Amino acid sequence: MNLATMTPPPVDDLQRVALKVFLTNDSELDPRDAIPVFHRWIQTHAVNGLLIDVADYAHLPSGPSVLLVAHEGQYALDRTHGRLGLQYTQTRPLDGSLSERLEVLWRTLVSAARLLETDPALPGLVRFAGNEIDCIAQDRLCAPNTPETLATLRPTLESLLSRVSAETDWSFTRDTEPGAPFRVTAKSSSSAFLDTTAAQPATPNDD
Amino acid sequence: MTWKHALGERVPDDLGREIDTYENQMALKRQGKLDDKVFAETRLRRGAYGQRYDNGQRNDGTGVKPLPFPSDGRTKGPDTVWDAPGMHRIKIPFGGLTTAQMDTLAELAEEYSDGVVHITTRQDVQLHYVHIDDTPDLMRRLAAVGITTREACGNTVRNVTACPIAGVCRDETFDVTPYAQASARFLLGHPDAQDFGRKFKVAFSGCKQHACGLVNMHDFGAIGVTREADGATQRGFEVYVGGGLGAVPHEAKLFEPFMAEDEILPTLQAMSRVFARLGEKKNRARARIKFLVAQLGIDEFRRLVREERTRLPRDDRWTDYLDDLPAYGETPLKTGEPLGDVTGSGAFQAWSRTNVYHQRQPGYVVATVSLPLGDLSSDQLRRLATVARRFVGDTVRATVEQNIVLRWVRESDLPALHRELDAIGLARPGAESIADITSCPGTDTCKLGIASSRGLAAELERRLAGQIETMDESVRSLRIKVSGCFNSCGQHHISDLGFYGVSRHVGGHVVPHFQVVLGGKWVENGGAYGLAVGAVPSKNIPEVVQRITDRYVEERNDAESFYAFTTRVGKRALRAMFEDLMSVPAHDVDADYYRDWGDPREFGIGDMGIGECAGEVVSLTEFDLAGAESQIFEGQLQLEAGDFERADALAYGAMLQAARGLIKTENIDISDDAEQIVAQFRTRFFDTELFFDRFAGGKFAQYLFRRHARQTPASGADTARQLIEEAQLFVEATHACQARLAAQPPVIPPPPDGPSAAGSQS
Repeated sequence: MNLATMTPPPVDDLQRVALKVFLTNDSELDPRDAIPVFHRWIQTHAVNGLLIDVADYAHLPSGPSVLLVAHEGQYALDRTHGRLGLQYTQTRPLDGSLSERLEVLWRTLVSAARLLETDPALPGLVRFAGNEIDCIAQDRLCAPNTPETLATLRPTLESLLSRVSAETDWSFTRDTEPGAPFRVTAKSSSSAFLDTTAAQPATPNDD
Repeated sequence: MTWKHALGERVPDDLGREIDTYENQMALKRQGKLDDKVFAETRLRRGAYGQRYDNGQRNDGTGVKPLPFPSDGRTKGPDTVWDAPGMHRIKIPFGGLTTAQMDTLAELAEEYSDGVVHITTRQDVQLHYVHIDDTPDLMRRLAAVGITTREACGNTVRNVTACPIAGVCRDETFDVTPYAQASARFLLGHPDAQDFGRKFKVAFSGCKQHACGLVNMHDFGAIGVTREADGATQRGFEVYVGGGLGAVPHEAKLFEPFMAEDEILPTLQAMSRVFARLGEKKNRARARIKFLVAQLGIDEFRRLVREERTRLPRDDRWTDYLDDLPAYGETPLKTGEPLGDVTGSGAFQAWSRTNVYHQRQPGYVVATVSLPLGDLSSDQLRRLATVARRFVGDTVRATVEQNIVLRWVRESDLPALHRELDAIGLARPGAESIADITSCPGTDTCKLGIASSRGLAAELERRLAGQIETMDESVRSLRIKVSGCFNSCGQHHISDLGFYGVSRHVGGHVVPHFQVVLGGKWVENGGAYGLAVGAVPSKNIPEVVQRITDRYVEERNDAESFYAFTTRVGKRALRAMFEDLMSVPAHDVDADYYRDWGDPREFGIGDMGIGECAGEVVSLTEFDLAGAESQIFEGQLQLEAGDFERADALAYGAMLQAARGLIKTENIDISDDAEQIVAQFRTRFFDTELFFDRFAGGKFAQYLFRRHARQTPASGADTARQLIEEAQLFVEATHACQARLAAQPPVIPPPPDGPSAAGSQS
C-alpha cells in the first residue's frame, strides 16, 4: 500500500504500537515453558490489563511464539527475525500524549519482563538485555515505514529512553524490509541488563 | 486521514457502500437501536465471527471467572460482549491468492490481529483476536485488493472451494477453476441466496479419484466430466447434492450424471430458491440442505429444482463467462525447464519427495508450503509473497489441507526455491502426509470446542515429523484430521485416522477425550465417512495412532489400503487394539490426564459459548429493515451536515427499502424500482389493510405515498427533518406489520403424483 503521496495522520495519533526487549544470548527459555506461567498470571492478575487467554504459536519459527492476550494489549514471547524477546503491543487506545503512552507501554513491558525473570518456574532461564529495544508501529496509516516516520518519532523515543533507562548513547536503526511495519531498534553500546538499567517499574494495575 | 479516505477509489463502489452500511449498523447497535440477532447475522454475513470467551467468562483452571470487558452492557449479538475479541473469516474463492493479497493479509494480521494468519479447511483465511471496531477498515483494505468478506459466515453461500491443482493436474478432466470463480461471483449477494436457514457450501473437483474438492461432503458438489455428442466433446459436471459432515454426516446424492456447463449457474440459483423456500428455518440443527434432500428424497428434490429452473427469468451471467473460457489460464512467470541432474542436499531431497508435484505441463511443478496447524506468521506470509513474486507470480492457492501451494514453479528453480523457503521457515517436509495434520481451531478460539484439537495435532506432528523419513510408505501417506467437537470442522469423518473432542466425567472431574473415528476415505472426494469406534483420553491418543499404524503395517495384505484394512478387520477388532487405553487413572494417580494438550489448566467445559456457525435465522425482511434503519441514521448525519437533499433522499430510500422487505414476504422477485415497490406495497399491504395500525390506520403508509408523489427533493432543513421522522415511523410500522405476518409455515408443493411431502415435514 503506497501512501507516500498522502498526508498521514500525525504520528502522535499512533495507538497500535509495541515495544520489545530481547533475551540475552545465554538465556535458555523455551517459549512453551512460559505457557503455565502466563496461565498463572491470568489467575493472579499478575500484570496489567484484563487478561483473557494464552495462545500457543510455538510451532512457528518466527513471529509471536506464545501470547498472553489482554483486552488492552498482547504480551508475546516473540521470535520475529529469529530473535526471542518479550513484546508488548498496545491494541486498544490509551489516553495521553504519545510520549506518555509509550511510557505506560514501557512500564507494562518491564513489569512483565521482570516477573518472567524472577518466576520460580523459570529458574535461571530468563534474562533480558537492557541495551536494545525495538519499537514497532502496527499502523501503516499513522506511521508508514519511512525515514520521515523515524525522524518524527526519534525525539519522542530519545525522551522516553532518557526517562526510563540509565543508558545514554542510543543509536537508532530502522528496519527497511519492504512491506514490513515501521520498526526501529534502539541500541546502546553497553552490555547492560534490563534489571540493572531500567528505571524501577510501577507495580501492576497502578495506572 | 482514515483508511476510507486513503484507499479512495481503490475500494470498488459496491463493496464500499456495503462496508459503509455495515459501519452504520455498528453505530446503530452501539446506540441500542438494532436487535442483537439482526446485528449478529449482519456481522456474521460479513465474516465477523465470535470467539471463545466472548460471553465474558472463562475457566482459568480454578473455576469459571468473569471477564469484565469495559462494554457497559453493549453486545454484538446474543450473549456476545462488544469488546470481546472476535475472529474474522476471509473468503478466498478456490483458495486463489495474488501476492498483493498476501501482503495485505500480512498487514492486517499485524495491525488488527495477533500477527498470525490461519488457513482453514475450506481455503479461507482467518484472523483471531480482532476487535469489532477494527472490522470496517479491515474490510476496506481487503476490498482494495479484490477480497470481500461478505458471506464468509452466516446462513449464506460460503466460500466456493476447488481443487488447488486444478489446471495443472496430470489427470483432471479439465480445469474447474473458472467455473468455481463464476459460481462464487454469481452467488455473492444474489437475492435468491439470502434467505437460507443455514449455510450452503459449494465445491468443484476436476476428477473423481482424488480428494480434490471433497465433493462428497458438500451441499452442491460438481465433478468435471465430458461426453461426446454430435462429434464434439462437451464439458459438463457430475453433480452431487446434500452432502455434509457436522454432527450428522450425510454423503452427497447424485443429482445429475451430466449437467451441461451452461446449466451450472441456473441450477445453483434454482436450488438456492428451493432451499430458501422449503429448508428448515426454526430448528437450525436440521436446517442444512442435506436434511431437506433426505426429507424429500433425491427424486422429489430434483423435480422441485428442475421445476424451479424452468421458472427462472433468463440471466446473461449464467453463460457470459463461458465465452472467456478458451482464453482462461494462468501465465507462467518463467519458461519451463527440467531439474536435470541436480540432487541437492538431504533436506532438499526430503522436501522434494513429499512437497513437490509434477504438473502435466513439462518443466513445471507445484511446490507445497506445509504449514503447521495451518498457521504462518505475518512476516512469513509477507516474505512468502516476495518468494512467490520471484518464482511464480500470482499463481498461489490455499488448500483444504491448510497449506499453501505455489503453482508453475520452474522445475530447475526448485533448489533455489527450497533455499528461500527454508530461510523463512517454510520448507517443512512431509506435506500431505501423516505428519501434516489438519485441525480446526478447537478450544483455542472456537466457542464450541470441547477438547484441544490444535494441542493434539501439534503433539502428533511433533512425534510423527521425526519418523517421516523412516516410516513405512503405506503409513506415511495416511491422513490424520482432528476436530475439537462433533461438528467436524476438522473433517475427521473423511480421514484415515480421525479424532473429535468429547469429555467424560471421571471421579468428579471432567477429562478431555477424543473419539477415534475409523473407516473414512480421503480419496475419491472424501469417498466414505468413518465412524466413532471409542472415546480415548486425550493423553492416550498418540499411543492409539502408534498401535493402529503398527498393526496396519504388520497385517496389511499386499497393497491393501488403510480403508480396506479397517473394513476387513472390523470395528470390534479395531477397538480392541486400544481398549485398554480408554480408561482414566484416578486424579491423584496421574493428574496429567485431567489437563488438555498444551494447556496446564484443570480441564473444564463450563465456559463454552453458544456457537455462531449456524448464524442467526433472519429473514430478508429483517435485513431490509436493518438497511432502512441504517439509511435513516445516515440521513440524520446528513441533516446535521446541512445536506438536506441527501437527507431527504436517504429517508425516502429507507421507506422504499422497508416496503420492499415487506413485499418480499410475498414476492421474492420484487425489483429495486420505486414505482414497482410503491405499486405493489399499495395493492398487497395498503389496499388489504395488512399494514394498518390498530390506532393510526393507514397513516404511516401515506408517508411513503406522499414522498413518492413529490417529485422534488426537500430543500430545507424542516422538510428534511420531517421526512426523517416520518421514515422512522414508517419503518416502525413495517416492523409491527412483519411481526403480525410472521409464523406462517412454508408450503411444499405436492409432487405430480403421490401424497403431499408437507405432511412429513418436521
